[in-house]
Amino acid sequence: MGLFDLVLFPIVGAAGIVAISSVVKERGSLFGAFAIASLSFMAFALFQTVGLIPSSYWIEGYPPPLGVVLCADSFSLFMVSLFVLMGIIVTLYSLKYMSEDSGLEKYYALLLLLISGLTGVAISGDLFTLFVFWELMCIASYALVAFRKDRWEPIEAGFKYLVMSTIGSLIALYGISILYGMTGTLNIAEIASRMPSSWTVEGYFSIAMIISGFGVTAAIFPFHSWLPDAHPAAPSPISALLSGVVIKAGAYSILRVLFIVLGPARYDFGTMLLILGVATMTVANLLVFPQRDIKRFLAFSSIANVGIIITAAGVAAYVAYHSPADIYVAYLALAGGAFHILNHAIGKGLLFLASGNFIHEIKSRDIVDLEGISKRMPYSGASFSLGALSLGGIPPLAGFWSKLIIILSLLYMSSAPLMMAVAVIMILNSLFSAAYYIWLIQRISFKPVKADGAKEAGPLMLVPVLVLAVLCVAVTLALPYFLEIMNSVANALLG
Amino acid sequence: MIYSATAMALILIGIYCIATKHNMIKIIIGIEIICAGVNLNFISLAWDGQQSDPLASSVVLVSIAIGAAIAAFALAFVMNAFKQTGSSDARKLRRLRW
Repeated sequence: MGLFDLVLFPIVGAAGIVAISSVVKERGSLFGAFAIASLSFMAFALFQTVGLIPSSYWIEGYPPPLGVVLCADSFSLFMVSLFVLMGIIVTLYSLKYMSEDSGLEKYYALLLLLISGLTGVAISGDLFTLFVFWELMCIASYALVAFRKDRWEPIEAGFKYLVMSTIGSLIALYGISILYGMTGTLNIAEIASRMPSSWTVEGYFSIAMIISGFGVTAAIFPFHSWLPDAHPAAPSPISALLSGVVIKAGAYSILRVLFIVLGPARYDFGTMLLILGVATMTVANLLVFPQRDIKRFLAFSSIANVGIIITAAGVAAYVAYHSPADIYVAYLALAGGAFHILNHAIGKGLLFLASGNFIHEIKSRDIVDLEGISKRMPYSGASFSLGALSLGGIPPLAGFWSKLIIILSLLYMSSAPLMMAVAVIMILNSLFSAAYYIWLIQRISFKPVKADGAKEAGPLMLVPVLVLAVLCVAVTLALPYFLEIMNSVANALLG
Repeated sequence: MIYSATAMALILIGIYCIATKHNMIKIIIGIEIICAGVNLNFISLAWDGQQSDPLASSVVLVSIAIGAAIAAFALAFVMNAFKQTGSSDARKLRRLRW
């Protein structure tokens, strides 16, 4: 079984929850416990797979190129472990946060389908399987964004998300069909080997389609406008999941298709990614300041962080195409990008869950109403500050190191003027993000208390937040160990 | 060649439809037109002069099913929006900045 278990357990769990719900109605905690159980089985299957990479699995025993192939390298397993981790934490958090809603069997079933789709995207070995799991993930996330369907905001944000994201996935499928037309197969390894050795116009066309298609979900600059609406409209645990892992799945698909299928040595997509990445982070960082809604604030910061990840990928591709002699810089940049994926998933998950604690307590998302709330909710407030410091890139914490690695890789290429320009813009952006996060901490923690009646959240909502805060520190302390993992991720992408 | 050009034209028509129409149902029709264009492109690229590649046909069948799922889901959104605003006009959903 192996790899297939990873997608099977959550799907079986989702079916099981729906089946149970026809017998026992409205028992949210039971469904939640069931969801956590199936995710734990998935985590167990993941531990068994780690030793076996790179491994592949043929569904129904049909070999490639016709059969459906799942395959995993260290990049896929890195992403899958992130999905399982965030999935378990978010499900645990939902037990209390969502307990006042009805229809929870659908909520947990959709949550499991979302995790299953994400996992499938990460481990699929052919492009069409990737697309099928991609749509599973997308449809589950539309439904979760609009879960509180009696209010106007989730419906509106959900419909906007659905229209934009569906156009994006169809455009990406169009790019995949062009790759199919060039090589006559959909298997990722087969396409890479049958690809013409020099560049072609169709190749560049499919690159453009794939970046803009998957870029909608990854919230790259011109296609980011769904995200600041969808994140605040969704329930807080879902915002944590969307921001922590779903947009990373978009970045993952871009990296997987561009680096493995098309190859950075054949196609010069590095410049394109650099420009998009820099534009994404600059625009998003400028738009963070005017926000009054705390979840919109965090959503714009997510877009900025995706910009950093795309920039790292751009550096790697640029170096691999323009100066193959300095290939170690490409490895460094990709390792930094992968490390930033980890830091941002943990940090932004922590921020959304901690702000969910605030929102659950005072029923307002306005930063003005939240001023000084850390004094009433010390544990949530301290965890929130920790996450904000990490994402703001304040030195000892992990977020600083991932940004530093990417900036260092830019500075290594000091002979290329484009790279120096990007380095300067990125340093300015990092300073800017440090400034607004510290400003946010100052308002949450040190201003006079606005909401006097607020009390610390219960243990079920506090434990996931504290676990993420501990992880945030643990990643910093175990830095050499994590850098080794990131190095193998970069190796998986560059070969 | 003519099929690929038609596929491209269908995709552009779909995007035009989504960009200009205000009725939510018409927006969903636009999505379905893009979906049809992409499927047509797959089928047209499967022909190698003598025979058609069965891989593309199976891919397109699954893709049609996914398109139907998205349409069904989007129509559920339209129903909920209709319950709240009493119309299927996307301009009524303008409280967020588009």
